[in-house]
Amino acid sequence: MDIFKIIGICFLALVLSIILKEYKKEYSVYVLVVCGIIIILYSIDTIKEIFSFVKNVSNNNFINLLLKITGISILSEYAMSICKDSGETSIASKIDFGSKIIIISLSIPIISNTLEILVKLLP
Amino acid sequence: MNIDLLLKIAGIGILIAVLHQVLTKAGREDQAMMITLAGMVIVMTVVVKEISSLFETVRTVFNL
Repeated sequence: MDIFKIIGICFLALVLSIILKEYKKEYSVYVLVVCGIIIILYSIDTIKEIFSFVKNVSNNNFINLLLKITGISILSEYAMSICKDSGETSIASKIDFGSKIIIISLSIPIISNTLEILVKLLP
Repeated sequence: MNIDLLLKIAGIGILIAVLHQVLTKAGREDQAMMITLAGMVIVMTVVVKEISSLFETVRTVFNL
């Protein structure tokens, strides 16, 4: 996980997208997309190690749910930042809305579980 | 899958922009439009391949 490599790639993509924005706007979007892909794929194996550590620390069945929600948030944040960069904030808010709905629907079992525990705790 | 992909896409973009200018100056607007569309298709296929590999990796890692 070399921070210098990440910063270098991002600066290169920044300069390329600025150059391309002046001639052809659509290619700067492609450069942003590819730069995001490179960084995420570069850090996937570190995420794998983190989650394998979390898994064997506590093998609660909600850990898979946590994993799923983290994946959804990473992808939706990736897409949202690209849409915001290219000036389409309305599309970004749609992605945000959709991912929130999915995350809430995924976390229903957690909420119901906690409510049951709370009810049991109350006298 | 590293920096050369970025440079390839930027190179194609700049090349298409230059060719577009040359063709429009030479009075062939339709061919200039063809060049732009062709460049768009090429870069789109490359980027879609990368996006599908990203989604596949994320699906396997986060077992979505």
